[in-house]
Amino acid sequence: MIEQLKSQIIDALNFEDMTPADIDTDAPLFGEGLGLDSIDALELIMLLDREYGIKLADPKSGKAIFASVRTMAEYIQANRTK
Amino acid sequence: MRIESQIEITPASVVLNGKAIEVKESGDKMLVELYRRYAGDYPKFFKMDTLARLGFIAAEILLQERVTESREKRTVDAVILANRSASIKNDNDYLATISDGQYYPSPSLFVYTLPNIVTGEIAIRHHIQGETAFYVLDKPEQLEQIIKSQMSNHRSPIIAGWCECSAPNEYYAKIQIIWNN
Amino acid sequence: MVYCIGHSIISPLGAGSAANYEAIQSGRSGLKIHTDRFDDVEPFCASLFDEPQAFVPLCIRTIEDALAHCTSDICHLPETVFILSTTKGDNLDLLTPAQQIARHFGNPNAPVVVSNACTSGVCAQITAQRLLEAGMYQYAVVVGCDIQTKFIVSGFQAFKALSPAPCLPFSPERKGLNLGEAAATIIYSSEQPAGSDERLWTLETGSIHNDSNHISAPSRTGEGAYQCLIDVLRGTRPEEIALIGVHGTATPYNDAMEQIALERAGLQQTPISALKPYFGHTMGAAGVLETILCAMQVTNSTSYIRPSYIIKMLSGFGGVNAAIRLKIEN
Repeated sequence: MIEQLKSQIIDALNFEDMTPADIDTDAPLFGEGLGLDSIDALELIMLLDREYGIKLADPKSGKAIFASVRTMAEYIQANRTK
Repeated sequence: MRIESQIEITPASVVLNGKAIEVKESGDKMLVELYRRYAGDYPKFFKMDTLARLGFIAAEILLQERVTESREKRTVDAVILANRSASIKNDNDYLATISDGQYYPSPSLFVYTLPNIVTGEIAIRHHIQGETAFYVLDKPEQLEQIIKSQMSNHRSPIIAGWCECSAPNEYYAKIQIIWNN
Repeated sequence: MVYCIGHSIISPLGAGSAANYEAIQSGRSGLKIHTDRFDDVEPFCASLFDEPQAFVPLCIRTIEDALAHCTSDICHLPETVFILSTTKGDNLDLLTPAQQIARHFGNPNAPVVVSNACTSGVCAQITAQRLLEAGMYQYAVVVGCDIQTKFIVSGFQAFKALSPAPCLPFSPERKGLNLGEAAATIIYSSEQPAGSDERLWTLETGSIHNDSNHISAPSRTGEGAYQCLIDVLRGTRPEEIALIGVHGTATPYNDAMEQIALERAGLQQTPISALKPYFGHTMGAAGVLETILCAMQVTNSTSYIRPSYIIKMLSGFGGVNAAIRLKIEN
């Protein structure tokens, strides 16, 4: 599931030159690591809805959920409706 | 007004100051090829829609190929672009994310549903804090008139020209570096 | 400089500048919660016309209304240029509606469409000033219009930029912006109108600057907005500015940025006018509509000295910022 999530992130955020192998499961997504910005955060929120049926009521809670691919995967496992 | 340099880009050709630049690819792929050759260090390129990539590449090549002696001559005062179709190609891409039954509006596509974003991308890449503007016009002569009306405001040259993308693999740009005198 | 010889606003708050001015004076707002205007979008708070409006007829009505205040019908003259300020035009087509509008009034010139995100209405006035001062035209009909659609609302919802309730510009409680729709017109002339008893204004100068920071978030230091302010302050002192029409979208970042820019420019004591709690963010119409109402707040009041100066400022996606300075003498 983590591999699939990494592929989805690469697609959603247009990381043209990347493969899932290039993304460290535990590295920070924001700040250093992949250096995502505010638009990327919004796209990840849309990804949760589109692929997993999860609607994030409070975008601020996104910070903890999107800390790394692992935290994202854990949140999805716990909350997915698709 | 004095034209320092000019680039013309079609889906099959790139001509800088009258000389063709060799490319292997065509269409949307050609812009990626040019990115890798002239930039390659700016992953944000892949988030851009085709209109923004087109303008970005045109500005990148124009500015890199400038033969300028002094640091002062390197500043650019403004980025003024125009076209007939605004951001229609990306508008259609965005529309596909809000179609009936599949409603997942994409924020990264939505931000490019304004044609002036390409001028912002160029301004960010080249640290231009001067004027950026986008006009939707019937003919390029109208842009010439608009540029003429404001050139006396600019002590440094400006980037100005036509930048159009109406469908996948269909685009056209003719962009110049222009001085007041 | 160029001279306003007529203006008009048509909005959910009324038809005509006077009606809209009265509405804000009596504290009426067009903002309401809409639950079924568009499919799929979540409920949103916006100022919309009761009946959905067609883009071109709406623009034509506001231009005719502005013309009614002019001493002569200048629209068909070759010395007149039509300038349309809009972000999404008539169903994503920006050029055709401009051409239809110009043709309706018998104007022989190709119209100009300014599409510079939310700053378009101010940029269109700056474009008008330049074309007139360069002697290329004698009159400019600047019309700003945007109609809300599923396209626009869905996008702003995806950006989580909307407030569920009426917006609160510059408030610590602000939660985001409201959308709106309207059409507004300002007609500029290169010649000062002779002995008009309409209380109108002069557009003296304008400035556009990019933050060179981010395509959808403003510079944290308000760089571009600050540069615009100091440009339009040239020739006056901050104390001489009677009123500043701010952008005031009530998003956390925009208002913070504007405040910084105003403070950096020495304008922190100047009264501001934030009109989006009445009209919502009318996008391409905003710069035109809000300029008219800021001017009327001064022209209709005897408490301001004469001449008075007003600044109207806006910011928009793409990192763009714009400002103009008006002079009011009557």
